[in-house]
Amino acid sequence: MGRPRGFIELRRSKGEARPIAERVHDHAEYDLPLPDPELRDQAARCMDCGIPFCHQGCPLGNLIPEWNDLVLAGRFDEASASLHSTNNFPEVTGRVCPAPCETSCVLSLETLPTEGGRRPPGAVAIKQIEHQIADRNLHLAPQRALVRSGRRVAIVGSGPAGLAAAQQLARRGHDVTVFERDDRVGGLLRYGIPDFKLDKRVLDLRLGQLEKEGVTFRTRVHVGVDVRGDQLRAQYDAVLLAGGALVPRDLAAPGRALPGVHFAMDYLTQENRRVANVPVIGEPILATGKHVVVLGGGDTGSDCVGTALRQEAASVTSLELLPRPPDERRSSNPWPEWPLVFRTSGSHEEGGERRFGVRTTELVGEDCIRALRAEAVAFVDGQLVPTGETLELPCDLLLLAMGFVGSAKAGVLEQLGVDLDARGNVVAEDHATAVRGVFVAGDMRRGQSLVVWAIAEGRRAASRIDAFLASS
Amino acid sequence: MGLAEAHQVLVMNRLRGRVRLQVDGGIKTGRDIVIAAMFGAEEFGIGTTPLIASGCIMMRKCHLNTCPVGVATQDPELRKRFPGQPEHVMRYLMFVAEEVRSLLAELGFRTLEEAVGRVDRLVPHKVPGPSKTSRVDLSEVLYRPRQAETSPIHCVEAQDHNLRQVKDHELMARAKATLERGEPTAVEMALRNSDRAFGSMTAGEIARVHGAEALPEDTLVVTARGSAGQSFGAFAVRGMTLVLHGDANDYVGKGLSGGVLAVRPPATAPGRADEQIIVGNTVLYGATSGKAFFAGRAGERFAVRNSGAITVVEGVGDHGCEYMTGGVVVVLGSTGRNFAAGMSGGLAYVFDEDAAFVQRCNRDMVSLEAVEGAEAERLAQLIEEHAARTESVKAREILESWERARDVFVKVMPSELKRVLDDQRTPETAGIPFVGVGEGPPVSRPYVPGRSWRPETVVSHG
Repeated sequence: MGRPRGFIELRRSKGEARPIAERVHDHAEYDLPLPDPELRDQAARCMDCGIPFCHQGCPLGNLIPEWNDLVLAGRFDEASASLHSTNNFPEVTGRVCPAPCETSCVLSLETLPTEGGRRPPGAVAIKQIEHQIADRNLHLAPQRALVRSGRRVAIVGSGPAGLAAAQQLARRGHDVTVFERDDRVGGLLRYGIPDFKLDKRVLDLRLGQLEKEGVTFRTRVHVGVDVRGDQLRAQYDAVLLAGGALVPRDLAAPGRALPGVHFAMDYLTQENRRVANVPVIGEPILATGKHVVVLGGGDTGSDCVGTALRQEAASVTSLELLPRPPDERRSSNPWPEWPLVFRTSGSHEEGGERRFGVRTTELVGEDCIRALRAEAVAFVDGQLVPTGETLELPCDLLLLAMGFVGSAKAGVLEQLGVDLDARGNVVAEDHATAVRGVFVAGDMRRGQSLVVWAIAEGRRAASRIDAFLASS
Repeated sequence: MGLAEAHQVLVMNRLRGRVRLQVDGGIKTGRDIVIAAMFGAEEFGIGTTPLIASGCIMMRKCHLNTCPVGVATQDPELRKRFPGQPEHVMRYLMFVAEEVRSLLAELGFRTLEEAVGRVDRLVPHKVPGPSKTSRVDLSEVLYRPRQAETSPIHCVEAQDHNLRQVKDHELMARAKATLERGEPTAVEMALRNSDRAFGSMTAGEIARVHGAEALPEDTLVVTARGSAGQSFGAFAVRGMTLVLHGDANDYVGKGLSGGVLAVRPPATAPGRADEQIIVGNTVLYGATSGKAFFAGRAGERFAVRNSGAITVVEGVGDHGCEYMTGGVVVVLGSTGRNFAAGMSGGLAYVFDEDAAFVQRCNRDMVSLEAVEGAEAERLAQLIEEHAARTESVKAREILESWERARDVFVKVMPSELKRVLDDQRTPETAGIPFVGVGEGPPVSRPYVPGRSWRPETVVSHG
């Protein structure tokens, strides 16, 4: 901590964004980097806490105060080494992570009521610093294992959990094969997250490193369909299930079968394929000129808003079932917990309307959806009850972004005979399922979650697999 | 572990009943307290957890004045962020007490005292599996000495400080006229080195009867003979004059509060007084006013934290005048090293007869000056008083050659005091003794060491 009073003297800044009027016409990222002196000033705000609460926030245990100090000292190479020592893909988390490290930063501790709009100085801009350390690409050289173990590991799914596990295991000298049912590697990083949030060239750079480290990628192989799970288990010394939680929550409302009603992930995947110049699969889903309604106020819903605005939709409305969260933490949700407060993403800033406490009752249309009917709801004694108010919105395209309910049971999970819990997640003890040699990581184990959790799960599962291979 | 061992050893030696044991370190819950009690503790120090209850988040930046929750800082902006209320700590301690109460009830103890030393009621928690902790052998910690069957295992008797035997009771009886009516009294007494804090109880009684201003100087004159125990004349108040023919232990005149002390060798003592130690270490610690004269050398840490007493001594050990903030110290001989470390006020005059004081003085916070003019006259007056009160040979030698001796004195001037004087030169500084306010600003000339000193006539002792 080079500047003990940095957090008092310097204000938080996380860099500029490109103007909305400009960025909604392209698919490029819009967050701009801070110039180096300003980035170092931001790092100087870190207090190097005796108990670093950012560590509590970050599932990866990123050594945040350490690399903040190194950035302040201008020692980016060491900062990058420290960052990569806990995080396989900081260039990804630096872009898309909601940064629980920042909400648990001591500087986001608000012990005073707001006085005349004066807030405490605000968390260290950890995510921005991570992003800019990662984008120096100082640790993209392959780290090849010096000794090969001769053991073979199959990883099902090439999302962040699978990739993190693949890299960790390859670096331990195991022969790793990653199976991906899509045509390209990356899972939700590839076809889930829009390019304006995660430029896919960043992903390709990292995948190049994995390949040079010995990871074999086999795309267009749907484990459970093209190859049976039990066969895979027989052919490999260990299998890691990292297939994500891709079964979307559906809407049970009259008119659900009408054309023009789609799951958000189908819509986002098509757009990602278009941007990548890869043929779109299925009937095109486009928002251009349409009144778009997005059901679900989470990150996926936000991505749909940004994408629809880029496709020049006539209007975009987000509906969220739950009431609008408070602007400030509730006393029942104290620091350093993840704050349940109202958030506005970059896509929300770009346009569209947001409504909270709205439950869809009926989808109206004949050959295609034309309108959405809904009722306002509010919490009464812990139950959502209608307030009596109703509304009807014009709707030519309805995107369902209401979360995910787990992984498909049929296929690989059934063939391997692993147990599922009530929420549809694979049951495991410290990533080991009841089936010997079969492990699980990421959303498939914990249900839908953050990229940073997926990486943490992949790393932990890899170390469990490594120990298993060493002992068997 | 330390607690268990201390408790066991005290029980084995049948001393436990005379001691209270206090334990601290990592105590957070009522369970911790009950366990500590069963290991043998009667008192418990809880530090960090109440701090956390009042808002500390263990930033460990207490030393940087940047505590972000306003606990350990004087920064007014950061202090605004302090969230703590006394009720937070109260509530925490109530929960601790409640947990202690319920655990005691569970164990069948009616009071916490009943639980003290009941190590027989502790059962180690078994950790399943091949963990490191499962191999820890706690039998030594849980050992209950057999003496626990027949002798106390917690404190049952109060310490007897023998206050009834203190010499001050005799002094107070003989000085009744002074204590009750403020009449002058002269008393002669013999002292031994077990007579500690001689005069302190009397000082307290005078202050109680006559108030903080006490009595006119020399109202109660005590002439004592012998070797005094620790803290001779501690806290002596104005009106008390304690003259000791003999020597004294450590802490003479600790917290001196206006009284006059004089310690001089007995007439039978061989050798030169200024070459021998007559009072021990840490003399005049924290003295606030009064005068003290020592016809001989003092030990280490002389006049540490003195804030107002005036004293003459014939030599001191290391760290003299450390952290001194006021008063006057005259040393008629050599000093040990690190003299005047952290000294921010008061004045010291050192008779630099071996021309080595400059090396022994810690000059981080003081400058060394020559002694001149009216200031030198006042210094001579003080040495006169020393000679009069102690018949000091050294003092007489110096005074007889005063014109030469004056140039051998070095004045130790705290930079802080000098800055205040230079800044203000106002009547406010008139209260500081020996500074020539009224005669214009003190003109200081740097001290030049190296003037040789040899007395003109060697006065033989006795």
